[in-house]
Amino acid sequence: MADTVPIIETHALTRDFKATRAVDSLELSIWPGELFGLVGPDGAGKTTTLRLLAGLLDITSGGAELAGYDLARQAEKIKRKIGYMAQRFSLYSELSVVENLSFFAELYDVDPSVLQERTEQLLAFADLTEFRSRRAAHLSGGMQKKLALACTLIHRPQILLLDEPTTGVDPVSRREFWDILGNLHLEGTTIVVSTPYMDEADRCSRVGLMYEGRMIVCADPQSIRAQIQGELIELHTEDWQMASAFVETLPGVLEVQIYGESLHVFVDSADERLPAIEAAFRDQGLVLREARRATARMEEAFISLVTRLDTARRLEKET
Amino acid sequence: MSLRHLRAIVRKEVQHIMRDRATLILVLVTPTAMLFLMAFALAVDIKHVPIAVLDYDRTPTSRSLIRRVTEGNDLDLYTEVGSLDEVNRLLVGGDVKAAMVIGAAFEDDLMSLRGMPLQVVIDGTEPKTGGFVVERVGGQAEAFVGEVLARQIQVHGVSLDSLQPIDLRVRALYNPALKPRVDMVPGLISMVLGFPALSVALTLAHEREHGTLEQVLVTPVGRVEFLLGKMIPYVIVGLVNVIVIPMVARATFHIPFNGSFPLFFLLSALFLFAILGVGMVVGVFTRTQPAALALSFLVIFFPGFFLTGIFFPIVSMPEVMRVESLGMPGTHYAVITRGLFLTGVGLDVLWPYAIMLVGLCVGFTAIAVFFFRKKLG
Ligand SMILES: Nc1ncnc2c1ncn2[C@@H]1O[C@H](COP(=O)(O)OP(=O)(O)OP(=O)(O)O)[C@@H](O)[C@H]1O
Ligand SMILES: [Mg+2]
Repeated sequence: MADTVPIIETHALTRDFKATRAVDSLELSIWPGELFGLVGPDGAGKTTTLRLLAGLLDITSGGAELAGYDLARQAEKIKRKIGYMAQRFSLYSELSVVENLSFFAELYDVDPSVLQERTEQLLAFADLTEFRSRRAAHLSGGMQKKLALACTLIHRPQILLLDEPTTGVDPVSRREFWDILGNLHLEGTTIVVSTPYMDEADRCSRVGLMYEGRMIVCADPQSIRAQIQGELIELHTEDWQMASAFVETLPGVLEVQIYGESLHVFVDSADERLPAIEAAFRDQGLVLREARRATARMEEAFISLVTRLDTARRLEKET
Repeated sequence: MSLRHLRAIVRKEVQHIMRDRATLILVLVTPTAMLFLMAFALAVDIKHVPIAVLDYDRTPTSRSLIRRVTEGNDLDLYTEVGSLDEVNRLLVGGDVKAAMVIGAAFEDDLMSLRGMPLQVVIDGTEPKTGGFVVERVGGQAEAFVGEVLARQIQVHGVSLDSLQPIDLRVRALYNPALKPRVDMVPGLISMVLGFPALSVALTLAHEREHGTLEQVLVTPVGRVEFLLGKMIPYVIVGLVNVIVIPMVARATFHIPFNGSFPLFFLLSALFLFAILGVGMVVGVFTRTQPAALALSFLVIFFPGFFLTGIFFPIVSMPEVMRVESLGMPGTHYAVITRGLFLTGVGLDVLWPYAIMLVGLCVGFTAIAVFFFRKKLG
């Protein structure tokens, strides 16, 4: 990859909304053919980043190049190279599946001689052939997302920018959607996809974690998982509030993350600390329904990274 | 500009209008329905007003005045009464709207040229009806006096020709009966055609709210293609109204159509483009449908009501408003419709208004295009 140039490159890309700095000096290089995952908590700036790249928002400062064009000056040229699917993608609900496809085909100047064939291909690929005449309004959520993706693919874009394409979709449809993305990735399309689901981030070739407008980590999923300190123990308790306060005081505990009823506890050595924790709960008279070792996922990794960052900031402020 | 893009937008918008029942009703049914409603509500012809008569004179002259006043369609003799108390009772009970009181010396005074003791009592809570009665009684009485005097002069041997009395008669051309509805309905057309403009403003806000706009803005579609493509279908449905309305106006309100229909059609298309341009400007400057609705009322319907001269004559407006009214497509179109329906004039007379409409078309569309950016936020 050293001899190619990035297909997307941003330089100190910044966007302000009144008082909020939604995207803060973003430096990002994405290489041709990457499947890049953009993750981060609500309001981290994922949507703003993708909208900036799609030319939908004015840049406050900094700049970017996509497919060799300058974003600030040649946004209209870039539009022919990208497919963008908004977080709240809306199809024209009164139009049928095929009518939606051909509407976007015409706006993207798809050659009429290939339109028929490409429409059939995309219908097959999105598994919508038998619903071709159905109004978009009457499709299921998963089918709507697939149709939306098909619409953004109608002009064979080099770059796909997808903003939370699977949010609110059932698990089976989510799996199908990602299989399609996997195929596009194999065909060489560059994909930037934002997602709140960490298992999806795991399927990306590289992941960037955004937090308060900044990119705080940007690496492949394995390296990100490797940044986790210690080993993971999962505890299921009766009273998580009391349990988490208690477990934090035990020796060898590095970090506690709360997931509803269960506590994810990072310790220096799971083999050593698991029996100790169980014993401590018994002595204290706290109910422990289950305690077991677990493998850390991306999710724990990110929460851990964000917490560490927050703590570091707080310390910085205090001194 | 790409015709292919334009066609795609037009087709999509037509499909939207045809398949979305709310929009279809708003653009196809509402204008005619509103025309009916406004014509009935705002321009009620006053007719057959019941009045009481109190005749203290009881002479042949006073009798013939009563006959004269109540013989037409305007005023009906409800009853003759004997005292002012009875008049009061009838007015309070709402049986009559006014009363004519003829003084005791009516004939004597009239014949000896001392004047005319005649009084009209009206119900001040209904000034419009009262004013109408006063005007009618006054008019009839004046004519009546004129005739009586002329006869007196003749009796006394003076020839009428040598007198050359001034005979001022108002003849209302094109609307002989001076019926307000005949005058108003053509003017109202310019207002009800504001509905397609309202829907074009709403559709832009609708696309913004539903996120479909975001998806269109990332395509290479041009701004002119997009806005024009949205306007054209509404011009077309507007023209459907333009065909239906004169037929309805003739059938229900007996409004004549004296001009050239093709010219009416053409100038209506111009007007529609201009008013849709206003609608587009509204759509471009608002983010939500409620906001677009509110602003439409402010810049399409409100000025249509007050500035276009449909209800309030432009000559009696303050200077600022007169200038402002020139910028309203409805002002010029109201002149055109009135001219074509009632006087039947042609382009030789209407061309300045047509040119103003062309100017406003270009002006408003240009403003919309200029301020419409292919960006969010
Ligand atoms: N149009 C806007 N006007 C004002 N502030 C905005 C606008 N869009 C985004 N913001 C602010 O910018 C910040 C980043 O928002 P953004 O939508 O990019 O986050 P996100 O990572 O996509 O979050 P989510 O997971 O909720 O989609 C937030 O604080 C948000 O409130
Ligand atoms: Mg978002």
